[in-house]
This record gives sequence, structure tokens and C-alpha cells, in this order.
Amino acid sequence: MSTYGAPHSAAASVSGDGSRPSPSTTMPLLEVRDLWVRFRQGDRQVWAVNGLSYELFGGQTLAIIGESGSGKTVSSRALMGLLPETATVTGSARFDGEELLGLSDQEMRQHRGADLAMVFQDPTRSLNPTMRVGNQITEAIRTHLPLDRRAARERAIELLRLVRLPSPRQRFFEYPHQLSGGMRQRVMIAIALAADPKLLIADEATSSLDVTTQAQIMELLLDLQGQLGMALIMISHDLGLAASFADEVIVMYAGRAVERASTHQLFAHVRMPYTEALLEAIPRIERPSHSPLPVTPGRPPDLTTLPVGCPFEPRCSRARDTCRETSPPFEEQEPGHWWACWYPCDDGGSG
Amino acid sequence: MSTSTPALGADRRVSHGLARALRSPSLRLIGRRLAAAIPVLWGVTLLTFLVLNIMPGSAAQQLLGADATPEQVRQLEAELNLDQPAWVRYWEWLQGVVTGDLGNSIASGQPVTTIIGQRLPVSVELVLCAIIVSLAFTVPLALMAARRPNGIVDRLSMVLSMTGLSIANYVFALVLVVVFAVIFPVLPAIGFVPLSDGLLGNLRSLILPAIAIGFPLFCFYTRFLRGDLVEQMRGEDYVVTAKAKGVGPWRVLIRHAFRNSLFGLLTIVGLNLGTLIGATVIIEQIFALPGIGQELLQAINNRDAVVVQAIVLLLAVVVVVANLITDLLYAVLDPRIRYGQRSA
Ligand SMILES: Nc1ncnc2c1ncn2[C@@H]1O[C@H](COP(=O)(O)OP(=O)(O)O)[C@@H](O)[C@H]1O
Ligand SMILES: [Mg+2]
Repeated sequence: MSTYGAPHSAAASVSGDGSRPSPSTTMPLLEVRDLWVRFRQGDRQVWAVNGLSYELFGGQTLAIIGESGSGKTVSSRALMGLLPETATVTGSARFDGEELLGLSDQEMRQHRGADLAMVFQDPTRSLNPTMRVGNQITEAIRTHLPLDRRAARERAIELLRLVRLPSPRQRFFEYPHQLSGGMRQRVMIAIALAADPKLLIADEATSSLDVTTQAQIMELLLDLQGQLGMALIMISHDLGLAASFADEVIVMYAGRAVERASTHQLFAHVRMPYTEALLEAIPRIERPSHSPLPVTPGRPPDLTTLPVGCPFEPRCSRARDTCRETSPPFEEQEPGHWWACWYPCDDGGSG
Repeated sequence: MSTSTPALGADRRVSHGLARALRSPSLRLIGRRLAAAIPVLWGVTLLTFLVLNIMPGSAAQQLLGADATPEQVRQLEAELNLDQPAWVRYWEWLQGVVTGDLGNSIASGQPVTTIIGQRLPVSVELVLCAIIVSLAFTVPLALMAARRPNGIVDRLSMVLSMTGLSIANYVFALVLVVVFAVIFPVLPAIGFVPLSDGLLGNLRSLILPAIAIGFPLFCFYTRFLRGDLVEQMRGEDYVVTAKAKGVGPWRVLIRHAFRNSLFGLLTIVGLNLGTLIGATVIIEQIFALPGIGQELLQAINNRDAVVVQAIVLLLAVVVVVANLITDLLYAVLDPRIRYGQRSA
């Protein structure tokens, strides 16, 4: 596969950032190959993820960006075996060399929380309203670590301190509704960190928070990542968010990757018209933070049928006949830069 | 501390506590609900009174039997104060009730409070046993059914529930008697052994009636709880969080989903109490249990308006209070209500 040589050239293109561990000498922490997810829905199929591939090295940050419904959540939950029974998952996802897809639920449970952990979009609904937050953290700790009650509680309080929750010893005994939205998300992060995961997936972790809190939680996640040396997958609909922190960006559309590059390279030379549209839609200060993105006219495609041509073609201003007839392959077209487009944007004099 | 504090301080503390209690939302809730219940209760007594008056026959006639001459009946009616217009008697009875006097039975002359005092404990015990029996089977079965929706346990429990919900409870009671008292004579078919004569005999005499009342409840509760658990396991984000921690499926079901289902279950049990009490009237009759339901039927037969009205009023009060207690328990158990919502 052409993508196999990727890490080498990708690393080379992260110019001016020499602090990264050299990927060529290590195995990727996570290697996703040709991931497909479809849902049974009545007598129809929903093609939610269609041949997604990427790899992620320890300690790195990957941003997965795309409009709502592009398959970001489904593709990441597939890795953790958290999809409903109506989902069919195929492909491969190797974590630390071990294949995750096809593991039994019991085998998968050894990895959930311990190796891969997740922070979700809505901290209010993601915490159990009838349990004290402390117990929700110790539950995660004691599921994986051989600690007794008291030791687990001390660790939980330590984690609450780590996520910078004020007066952690009191907060331990409170219920979720006694905390603010930002505090709840801190608790969710504490839960995710309970057993020292190697990979943290933050699925729109800041999207339901107000702007100020958003920035604080972002900063916290990045600090923690540096401090604990985890890999981080940051899922968002906001390309602007990715610009500020990620090492690498994958842009998804209709369940597939349509562009992938190091952050630096992506912002310097956007190739895919969809990414360009996203870039133009980055919220400006004068616009309220979560107003619907005026990405580009038209709606995301119907996922119940697989299109013959490029899925973005109906909304694309550069589309021609080829785009309707054949789907462009997602390939490494420049060193460290993948895209799927027959007529990519030209920034004039690069390459 | 209390020795050095003069009585005045303690006094002030008490009155302060009282003032705070009066301002507390739950006390105000109780007050409002009780006030709203008064017209309902009054309406219930009025309706009972009207129905009793439409029914043919009088208490004096019932007491004297069919052979009595009209002269004898009239004489007894005068003795029992039944010759006054019906609404006057109702008005006098109502006045008595407001002052706490439920009057005396027309048939036996005993104070109604005495009669209720004798009969009520039997019914209360029966109802409690029925609820305990039904919940004791509901919880494990619903958990097993929800663990694997459409699995074998789920399907069997569905069939069982549908059977139980479509069979009349007196028919089911007769089946129980035939099976456990006639074919396999392991339990008494009828009669009641009071608690003072030994716990074992007491419970043995209540098992069949409790099951007869509890089985349809069990079916209903099981359907509800199973549905609620499955819905949570499929739809709630905190269930996903628990799974993402690596917590095992049983633990997710019990510690996360069931814990949240308890509130709904509690409400169902509380709201269902009226139906449950209705069932005891028939079941007490079938199993010859000297409870309040049996007394009610007897009093209706006797056209004993005083006793009928008192019992109907009592049952209405029980239902109103049970609903109120359900709401309060909810508030005590659910941390969201206990601490008052504080939003971000
Ligand atoms: N349980 C499900 N059954 C059917 N379709 C689903 C299910 N979950 C997600 N989908 C569909 O999969 C697509 C991708 O969803 P998702 O990954 O949640 O998008 P997002 O990029 O916003 O996270 C959407 O079209 C969504 O409707
Ligand atoms: Mg999503």
C-alpha cells in the first residue's frame, strides 16, 4: 500500500518541530486500515465509515475534522467496540501491535479505559446523575488497577487535582448536577485518565461548553497530553481548533478521509475543495461560537447509498464530469500529503 | 454544650429550625397536595353516598330479613335514626368525620374506628406481602431479560407477563387454590392466622392471596422495568461512559441502568397502589381473610352506609397519601431533586 511509507515522509514535513519522537524508528501506536462501518436500519444500510485508514504514533496529536454526520464519532467508537449491535465493522485497527477489531467484548474490556479512553461531547449526559462523581472515577480506577477502596479514592482525588478541579476533596462527594459544565468535563477527563491510557480520544470534548471554558478544557487536554505522554485524537467540526494544537489533521467527508497532512502542510497548501470550504468557515470572533457552519451550500450526502463518483461532487464548485463518474482515490499525492480529488485546489507554485 | 447554653438559646434554635422547616419546599409540597386532596376526598364520599341511596333495600330491611313486615321495618328505622331524609344523615355523618368521629355501624352498633382497627392490619399485611413478592421476582427477572434483549429469558418473561396481564386475578386465585391447596395440599386454601399466633402460620395463610394479588403486579412491573433498562442501555450516554471505562455488562446494568430505573419503578409501584387495593377486596373475599375489603363487601350487603362511607374514605385517603409519599421518596432518593437543580 502506498500509505505504508507515510510516517517517514510525514515526519519530514513537520518542519521546525524536532521534539517529536522519530516515527521511523518506532511502530505506530494505532494503525487503522481500511475501516468500514455500516448500520442496519430497517431494510436499509447506512454506510457510516467507508475505508478509513490512518496511523498515530505515541505522544502525537491527531485532529479528525468534518461536518456533523461525517463519521468521526462512529469511526472512533468502532475502535473501542462501543457501537450498537446494528453495526457491522470490518477492516483492521492495531493498537500497540494487537488487533482490536474482532476481539470479544470481554477481551475488549481489558483495553477500554486502560489503553484507550474516551471523553465525550456532553458531560452532563455522560455522567451518571445518581452517582457521586468520586465513585464514578474510582469505578474506572478499580476496574483496571488493583487498588483497595481507600487507595482508589486517594488516586481519584489526585486525578481531580490533576484536571484542576477546585477543592477536589469536597468535589469527590458531590453529584454531577452540583458541578458546572466545565467541571463536569474535567471529571470526565479524570475518569478517562483513571488507568493511565496510552491514547485519549476526545470526541467534540469542548463543543457543548461556552467559549471561555472551551479554551480552558483545550488547554488542559494539551497540558495533560504533554505531561502524561499520551497520544491524543481530537475530534471536532472546527478546523480552526485543529490549527492550534494538532500535529496532523484528517478531514473526513461522508465516512471517508478526503485530505490528510501535517497541520503545517495542510494550512499552507489546502488541496481538497471541501477542506478549503471548512477553512473559510472557521469561526471569526464576531460570529457566535456555535452558529451552524456555513460550510458550503448543500447538505451532507445520503449515506444509505454509496455514490459512484466523488461524494462531495454535488456541493463542489470545481466539479466536472469525471467527478460524477469515478470516485477519486485517497492517495499520498505529495510527500506527507494525502487527498482524494480529481481537480485539487492549486495554491500556485508549491509541490 | 447544651449545659452551658441557657434554655432560651435552645428555644430559639427550635423555633429557628421550625421556621426553616415551614419554608422548606417539601413541606410546602405536602401542604399543597393535602389541600388539593380535600375536594377529591369529599367527592368520593358524596359519590358513595349517592350510589348507596340508589341501591334498592335498606339497612333495617337487611337486618330484619325478607319476612319482616313493613311495620317492623319502619319501627327499626326509627330506632336507628334512618327515618330522616338521606341528605340530613349524610350531612350529620360528614360533620362527624370533620371532627374525627366516624360514627357507629348501623348493623352492629360498634364504633367504625374499632372495626377498622381490627380489619386494617390484615389488609396492610396482605398488600405489603403482595408488593414484596412481586418485586422480589420482578427485579432479577427484568435484569436477566434486559441483559440480552430478545434472548431466551426475555422471550419467556414476555410470554409470562402477557399471560399474567390477561388473566383475571380471581381466576388466577382459584387456580392457585386448586393447585396448592387441593392437588398438592401444602398451603391452606382459606382462612387467616393472625401474627400473634406465630409468624410461620401467619405467612402460610398469606402466601396464596399475596401471590394472587402480586402476580399481575409482577407482570406489569417486569414489563416496565425491562423496557426502562433496555432503553437506558441503548440510549443513555452514561451507559456508554461506563462501558468505555471497561466495566463489565452486568455491572453496567445494575450499577448504572438499574440505579436510574429505580425512580421510575418506585413511581409505578406508588401509582399502582389504588389498583392493588381494589384487588384485595376480591381476594380477601375468596380466601376468607378478615380484612378491610371483606368488611366493605359485608357492609354493602347490609346497606350499612356509615361503614361503607368510612371505608371508602379510608381507601381514598390511603391512595392520596401513597401518591404523596411516592413523590416525597423520589425527592429523598434522587440527588438531582434532593439538592435542587443547579445548572451550569
Ligand atoms: N446507531 C446508528 N444507526 C444508524 N446510523 C447511525 C448510527 N449511528 C450513527 N449513524 C450514522 O452514521 C453517520 C456518521 O455519524 P457520526 O459518526 O456520529 O458523525 P459525526 O461525524 O458527527 O460524529 C451519520 O450519518 C449517522 O446518522
Ligand atoms: Mg460526533
